[in-house]
Amino acid sequence: MIMPRGQQLLLPANPWFIFFSLLLAQLINMLLNMVVLGNAAWAPDFLAVVLVFWCVHQPQRVGIGVAFLFGLFNDVQQSSLLGQHALSYTVLAYCAVLIHRRLLWFKEPKQSLQVLPLFVLAHVLELLVRLLSGSLFPGWWMLLAPVIEALSWPVVSVLLLAPQRRAPDPDEHRPL
Amino acid sequence: MPLGTIDRKPPAFFKHGMSALSKLVLFAILSVLLMVADARYGMTQPLRATMSLLLYPLEWLSLRPRWVIDEAGRFFEGRDAAQAQVQAMSLKLQQQALRSGQVEQLSLENQQLRRLLDLRERLSSSALAAEVLYDSADPFTRKVVIDKGALQGVQPSSPVMDDVGVLGQVTRVMPLVSEVTLVIDREQSIPVLNTRTGARGVAYGEAGGAPLLELRYMAANADIEVGDLLTTSGVDAIYPPGVPVAVVLKVERRAESVFARILCQPQGRVYGARHVMVLEPLGRQVPPRPPHERSGTLPIKGGPR
Repeated sequence: MIMPRGQQLLLPANPWFIFFSLLLAQLINMLLNMVVLGNAAWAPDFLAVVLVFWCVHQPQRVGIGVAFLFGLFNDVQQSSLLGQHALSYTVLAYCAVLIHRRLLWFKEPKQSLQVLPLFVLAHVLELLVRLLSGSLFPGWWMLLAPVIEALSWPVVSVLLLAPQRRAPDPDEHRPL
Repeated sequence: MPLGTIDRKPPAFFKHGMSALSKLVLFAILSVLLMVADARYGMTQPLRATMSLLLYPLEWLSLRPRWVIDEAGRFFEGRDAAQAQVQAMSLKLQQQALRSGQVEQLSLENQQLRRLLDLRERLSSSALAAEVLYDSADPFTRKVVIDKGALQGVQPSSPVMDDVGVLGQVTRVMPLVSEVTLVIDREQSIPVLNTRTGARGVAYGEAGGAPLLELRYMAANADIEVGDLLTTSGVDAIYPPGVPVAVVLKVERRAESVFARILCQPQGRVYGARHVMVLEPLGRQVPPRPPHERSGTLPIKGGPR
């Protein structure tokens, strides 16, 4: 496989780590909702960020089906229209799989510029679905959500790639 | 370096599975079908209940920080605050003692009058205390989630009130939690009675995007003033009569419309309620309507001669 010059070789990703990172993202979303923000329209959706991240880095393991399933759970938790997040996450994962080869040739800050349209698309899709089903526009503040999500992309990338960047042959001088 | 330590491996030549595009189409169609089933036919309740049960551990976990903060706050709350509260309460009690004496007398009188009129005894509904867990994250609706569900006997369409007034109605019941749609939600409406004039009307939620109620279809010359208290009227067979709903905040009489635009401030604490009461819907206590009796004068088409 062709890869950018000078890029570090990564260890294989642990499937359990992928699963728990997705659960943790859902937990952070719920914490933001229940403790900090309530039902603010600009609340960022970190589950979407982590899903896109794994669709880009591990498209063999996390793909459109997983995104759909997590979207359904998100719908039940948020008591929104069942299928609303499932649809937007499906489209999000599809776009992430489409751009996953190109995206890895960029550094993280530039990657976040490239994933911004994806998050915007996901939020616009949710908005359209809700407007069609007869809800009101919740305010322009909701434009902030995809921007926060894109800004968090470099941080999420560093955190979620850290286990794969450990040394392949750890010894007592280099435990990690 | 042993084998299998590097993540990069060649993609499978023949075993590809479905293409991304066909997956996209499949799951998009599936979610659209689900949305239609949910919004139009309401068929997804069992699926929601199961998934909510699976989500419950996560929900429990994410409510822990708030619980810790609450407990700490309760611990550090001083004795002074408690004493001040006791004083305020005793003052309130004195004020209310006078009134309660009158209430006894009035209710006795009322009882006699009702018996005289051969009316049924005033319906009393059983109540269940619950706690608000959190606001639902969906920014398009105004809902809260309470900690009692089908296992504790909550029924769909039960009215929910706090100590001040009506808060909303249970719209979805899960095994362990239920969702309450607040009166200020756009799709919620509640029959009300103006206590000053006795006029009945229907109040709708979310007037112009604000967390207010709107009393619609009242004529422009209707007798309504700012400060009128609206209570439940009891004609809907859901809410018990006489519970405060809202106070009229603003009355706009416009020349181009036959109806006045009346905005009301909800009385229940729609943004900060913690402890609420779930009442049993009255409809289960009211006897069913008597069968329609055919009058002899009108011929019925196709009926037995």
